[in-house]
Parts: sequence; structure tokens; C-alpha cells
Amino acid sequence: MFTPEYLIQQTFNGIVFGAMYALLALGMTVIYGILRLIHFAHGALITVGAFGFYLFFAVLGLPFPAAIVLIIGLGALMGVILDVVAYKKAVGGPEVSMLITSLGFYILIENLMKLIVSPQPYAFPTPELLDRIYSMPALTFRTIDIFIIATSIAIMVFFTLFVKRTKMGVAMRATAESGEAARMVGINIGRVISISFIIASAIAGITGFMWGAKYGQISYNMGFMAGVKAFVAIVIGGVGSIPGAMLGGFILGILEMFSVAFLPPGYAAYRDGIVFFILILILIVKPSGILGQKEVE
Amino acid sequence: MLKVEGIDVHYGIIPAVRELSLSVEKGQIATLVGANGAGKSTTLKAVMGALIPKRGTVLYKGEDVTGVPADKRVGMGIALVPEGRQIFSRLTVRENLNLGAYHRNDKKGIINDQEWIYGLFPVLKERGSQLAGTLSGGEQQMLALGRGLMSHPQLLMLDEPSLGLAPIVVVDIYKVIEEINRSGITILLVEQNINMAMKISSYAYIMETGKIRTEGKPDEVMKRENIMKVYLGE
Amino acid sequence: MLDIKAIFSKVDRRLLAGILVALLFLCLWIANAALSKYVIFIVSLIGVYIVAAESLNLTNGYTGLFSLGHAGFMAVGAYTSALLTFPVKGREMFVIPKLPIFLGGPEAAWPFLPALIMGGIFAAVIAAAVGLPVLRLRGHYLSVASLGLMVLIAALAMNLRDLTRGSIGINSIPTYTNVWWAYVSAVLTVYVVWRIVKSSFGRAMKAIREDEIAARVQGINPLKYKLLSFTIGAFFAGIAGGLYAHLSGAIRPYAFSFNMTFQIVIMVVLGGQGTIAGPVVGATIITILRYVMKPLEEALGIYGLVELVYATLLIVTMLRKPEGLLGRRRISKKAEAP
Repeated sequence: MFTPEYLIQQTFNGIVFGAMYALLALGMTVIYGILRLIHFAHGALITVGAFGFYLFFAVLGLPFPAAIVLIIGLGALMGVILDVVAYKKAVGGPEVSMLITSLGFYILIENLMKLIVSPQPYAFPTPELLDRIYSMPALTFRTIDIFIIATSIAIMVFFTLFVKRTKMGVAMRATAESGEAARMVGINIGRVISISFIIASAIAGITGFMWGAKYGQISYNMGFMAGVKAFVAIVIGGVGSIPGAMLGGFILGILEMFSVAFLPPGYAAYRDGIVFFILILILIVKPSGILGQKEVE
Repeated sequence: MLKVEGIDVHYGIIPAVRELSLSVEKGQIATLVGANGAGKSTTLKAVMGALIPKRGTVLYKGEDVTGVPADKRVGMGIALVPEGRQIFSRLTVRENLNLGAYHRNDKKGIINDQEWIYGLFPVLKERGSQLAGTLSGGEQQMLALGRGLMSHPQLLMLDEPSLGLAPIVVVDIYKVIEEINRSGITILLVEQNINMAMKISSYAYIMETGKIRTEGKPDEVMKRENIMKVYLGE
Repeated sequence: MLDIKAIFSKVDRRLLAGILVALLFLCLWIANAALSKYVIFIVSLIGVYIVAAESLNLTNGYTGLFSLGHAGFMAVGAYTSALLTFPVKGREMFVIPKLPIFLGGPEAAWPFLPALIMGGIFAAVIAAAVGLPVLRLRGHYLSVASLGLMVLIAALAMNLRDLTRGSIGINSIPTYTNVWWAYVSAVLTVYVVWRIVKSSFGRAMKAIREDEIAARVQGINPLKYKLLSFTIGAFFAGIAGGLYAHLSGAIRPYAFSFNMTFQIVIMVVLGGQGTIAGPVVGATIITILRYVMKPLEEALGIYGLVELVYATLLIVTMLRKPEGLLGRRRISKKAEAP
């Protein structure tokens, strides 16, 4: 059963899923870096993105590129709302407060979605172009897989350039290291936080489309496991490290695929639980993750 | 240039600075000395805007800046080189310096300042693309100073520039501080190393447990006060 | 004007508490006789949630950890006690495994109390096992890990079909829990938490919560206290789970999902983290709220209304009065900053 073809196929699948995890992890790390907050609500943003796409593309019949742009915008808008309503006020207080608040927002968004779209899952309207299947000797894939990988890499490259080359990007890195020192060189922390939220949430928006297209169906609570997996990806790659988040995402994707593959059949439903095992393993063996700074006390 | 009138600064409920008043003339080097925990850093932070006093006013060039947030004060010409340097260790030396000029738009002025700073601290130019965290203590201090200068300040505040540095390096740093002052920048210095500080200053304040204990010209103050008392605590 | 505070401080706290408890049980006795089964069910449920909320308060409110796995521990307690107490006759019919020899053998079914305690112990053991590596690290890791643990437990509950009947869950659990069981447990839990908090153990926990580094300097080993707090919290969560199972008579993996954890978190936050009475108040309000809103939910066809209200309550509380209804604003160590 474990032929080279099988392994290649599994690795490929892992990379596809990993790309999505990496994007989510990236957004979460950005927010964590600036606010030291694990943004629970982040997972819910892919739900918003996915259903947003359904609305724009299937219901309103807008062309694909327009729908994509709109969900990116929608994500960004959610980011602004969360930033303004929730976190601006909480900065400076105990860390736990922000965690709890973001928890509340996750539940709020999830249940709002449940209300708006109904508890039943929807079939996702993947555009035909992306739904084509190609079979090669070693590999079978859909065009959506290529789309996901390509878009993810593009986003990551853009983001890395942004953070290294632009003034705001450097300001973000500086703020992530020390908010106080950043203020003292004249950086407006509030603006940095807002921009971080916008970027992270916009990325989550488009990741929602990818998620829906990959899984084929969307439901109001799809954001939960997405969020959990993103956390785990961050831990694997190293909390606080942007390249770590991306690396962690891919590694998680591959590990997940292989674990599921190696399990006896009938245990595939343990997929979600496996993620937890991986997490605990990392925490025992190397808590600072692969690329992370020391977080151990 | 700077006038602080009767400020109270708190950490939570604990008062760190009480009824503190001081003033610094334009072009001066003034120094604030005292033992650990006397409140010197807190005072500087209040002038910088990193902390907001519960009472009292901070006047800068005649303007009341007491409530102005720190990032705006940088644009007004106040800069702080904080205790422990607080450079961004995960950014490169060059990025750190450029951040000093974050709020500025004058490209020419920035380049001029950059040249000047590289002249003062050639090592910063050499190590431009190194991560700031890999620099030695003395080099980090230079970087912190350079970063502060990149904001083109008129009032530069230095919090314990000699902290953790070898004596030879300290002498060099102080030579540079004097040169910076000669170029027209007013300096407010905080130090535990009173010798060096007193040598270059024209006015001194001695702090003790949150208040100014005494002030005056450095040699007068040294004679007047038994300085050791200040450090052993009274 | 009556100066209530003055009177309060003069009266011996313990005497007052004792009187309150006696009054409580008197009320319960009357209620039991007079009110409908449905209302009694809700009243008992409040008692169960008090156990859950108070124990989460120990971990989250007093030690400053942020555990999100409480529902997972409740699940452990629920399934364990249910599997232990299930009557022998029913096991064949409902495809529930008979007990192995070392647990009493195929003709055995455990009595309620030992089963409950067993559930609590099992949950505590799991908590200790997970807590050991995780609590050494910064707080956020615990949040994520406990969340993951809850997911794993739910996954296990769903997949170990031979043991747990999978997503169908276990029905016809003997409904041993009545008001007395619920409230004796509640009072006991509150008492235990109260004693812990007032002891040197509790002071250590609070020191850790406020400033871990300072606590360490004073010789307090944070890991030991965090671990104990986490484990004890899990123990009572397990008990709450067992009580819940034997109150509602049926459990499914979905019952112990994130929504459950969230519900308990709200009870603690709304009532007041770090206060003894807070979770009690929170549990009462939140539970009553749910059952008041249920008919409304059905009438309007808005499913999820209750959770929406909960979430809004939580957010509003965190933004407006983060110390909760009964809490006092904690003085932050941080200085004023613009």
C-alpha cells in the first residue's frame, strides 16, 4: 500500500492543506506578535470569507475575480471592526482579558453565521475552472490545489517583502519586539495594530474561499477546527516567528496527512484528535517550536 | 527649553515620582543623578510621554505637552535613549537607525544626519546589515544613540548610557555626548556613574526616593552634599 | 441607614455561611415538594453548573491560567460514571460493555457516589498528564493545549464506538442526580475552593497570578501550584460531568463541545473571576437565562439565540466590567500610558 506514488500523493495533499494552515497561522502570528494575543476569533473569519464568497459568487452571480476581491475586503472589514470594538480598549490590561474577549467574539461570529445561513452545511460553489481534475502517473490533483498553493506562496512572498522592505512593515516588526520602544521612535502603535488586523483578516478571508473549495462544503462552525489547527501550526513553527508560522503550517499539513494515512481504516475520523497529539508532542519535545524564540520559563 | 513643574508619576498606585520640578536650558547638558529606584528613569519617561503624570505639567519650548502621546513628542524634537538601550535586536543595524527617522519626511535631512552619525560611530556603518542583537554592549549603546539622533531631536535624553559598559567604552561614549551637545542639541542625562556625568554637565539634580533632594552647579553640589549618603541611603 | 457592612463584619462569617446553607436546603426541600419536575430539573442543573463554574474559577480566576478544556474533563467524568453505574440488565440491550473483572465484573454496576468520584479522578489524572509538560510554558500554551485536549476527548468519545456508542451517545442513564446530590456537591465544591483560596496554597496561587517572577523569587514553585490547581479543577469538572450525565439521563459527544466550555467560562467571568460567590451567581444567571430564552428561541425560529446572547454578555462584560458582577477591579501593575 505504501508505494512511492501513494507517498507522493499524500505529501502533495499535505502541502495543499498545509498551505492553508500556513496562511491562517501567518495571520495569527502577526496579531500575536503585536498584541501577544492568541486571536481565537481568527478562525471565524474563514467562515465569513467562505460564506461571503457563496453570497457574492453563487447568490449574486458576480464574476470570480470580483468575488475574490470582495471577500478579501470583507475580511479586512471584519478586522477593522474587531480591532476597534474589541482590542483597542483591552491593550494594556491583563493578557487574559483579551483572550477571553476574542473567545467571545468567536462564539458571536459563529452563532451569527449559524443564524444567517442555517445550521446545515452548504455545498461550496467552486468555479468550474478550478474544479478540473488532472491525473498524472504519480499524482492526481484538482486545479484548485494548484490555485491554493500558488496563491498561498504569492501571499507569503508579498507579505515577507512588505515586512522587510516597507516602512510600515519594519514598524510592525519593531512593534512586535517592543511596543514601548516603538512608541519612542515615533511609531503610532494604534495604527500598526489596525494594519496588522486588516492584513491578517484579509488573508483569512481569502483562505476561507480556499477552504471551502478544498473541502467542497462549508458550515457555520468550520472556523473552529481551522483556528485550532492554526494555533498548532504556530506552536510547531515557533510562536512569534513569521517564517515559523508558515513552516509550521506546511509541516502540520503533511503530518496530518501522514498520520491519517498510517492509521488503520475506520480511524480516519480521529484526524482532528491527531492534531492534538502532535501539539502535545511538540510541547514536550521542543516547546519553542522549530524557529521560535525561547518561550519556556 | 524644558520645564517640568511639580509632576507626580505613578506605577499603578505606587508613586514613583513626587512633586518633581526641574528645568533645562537650551544648549545645556543637565544631569539627573540618584541611586537605583530614585525615580530618574520614571522622570525621563514622563518627559518622553511613555508615562503620563497624575499631576503637574511638562512644558517643552513653552508648550504644554503633558498629555501628548510619546510618538507625537518625537516629532516635536524630544528623543529618549532608554535604559538598557532597547534596540530592536531582531532588526538590522540599518533598520534600527532608519526607524529613528520614522516620523521624518525630509529625505535630504535624513541622509545628512545619517552621514553625521556614521561619522560619530563608524562601526555602525560597518555592521549595517548585521542583526542588532549580535552587537556588543558598547556598539548597542552607540546604535541606540544613533537611533535617537536620527529623529533630529532638539532635546535628547539619555538614560544611563554607561550601564554595563567597560570604562574605556564609557569614556568614548561621553566624548561623543559632548560632541552631540556641541552641535546644538540640549541634553538631559541620567546616570548612576556620577563622575562622568558631573564632568560634562553644567547643571545637576540629585534625586532621592522620587523627589529632588538638591540641585545646582556640579562642583557646588558635589561639595555641598555628601554624595555617598545619597547612595547608601538616608 | 443600616450599615450593612458593619453588621456583616461583626457577624462570624462561618455562622452566616452556615445559616445561608441551612436556608438553602430548606428552600430546596420546599421546592422539591412544591414545584414542577421541569423547574426542579433546572434548579438541579444550576447546582451542577455551580460545581463546574466554581472549579474553573479555581484554575482560571485564582491562578490566572486560562484553561479551555473544562468541557473535556466533564465529558470524561460523564462517560466514566455513566459506564460504571449503568444497570447490568440494560447493558445487553443498549450495547454497552459489561464491566471488566477489576472493576467489579460483568454482573456489577457501581453505586452513584463512587462512580462520580471515579469520574473525577480519571479527569484529574488526564489533567495532570497534560498539565505536566504544558504548564511549564507561558499561559497561552495551556489555552491551546486544553482546547486541543477537549477536541481529542470529543474525538475519542465519537470514535471508540464499542465503548461509548459513538455519536449516538449513551441514553437511559439512571437519573440519580436530584436537588440534594446537586446542591450538596455544589456546597462542597464552594467550600473546598473557599478553603483552598484562604489557605497558604491560595495565597501562593494569587501571587503566581499577579507576578510569576516575583512569586518565584519568594520561593514559590509555579509549576507545582499550577499543576495542583489545574488538576483539582479537572477533578471537580469530572464530578460535574458525572452529575450532569445522571441528571439529563443521556449524553452525547456533542454535549461536551466548545459551547459547553464557553458557557462555563461565561459563568465565571460574568459572576466575577477570583471571587468565591461569583461563579455561583454566574451559574445561576446563565442557566436561568438559557431556559427562559429557549421558548423564545423556538418561537422566533432563531436557533443559536442563546449562544448569541451569551457571547454578547461576555463581550460586554469584558469591555465594561471585566472583573464581573461581584468582582473588584484589580489594581494593575502597569503604569499609566497614553
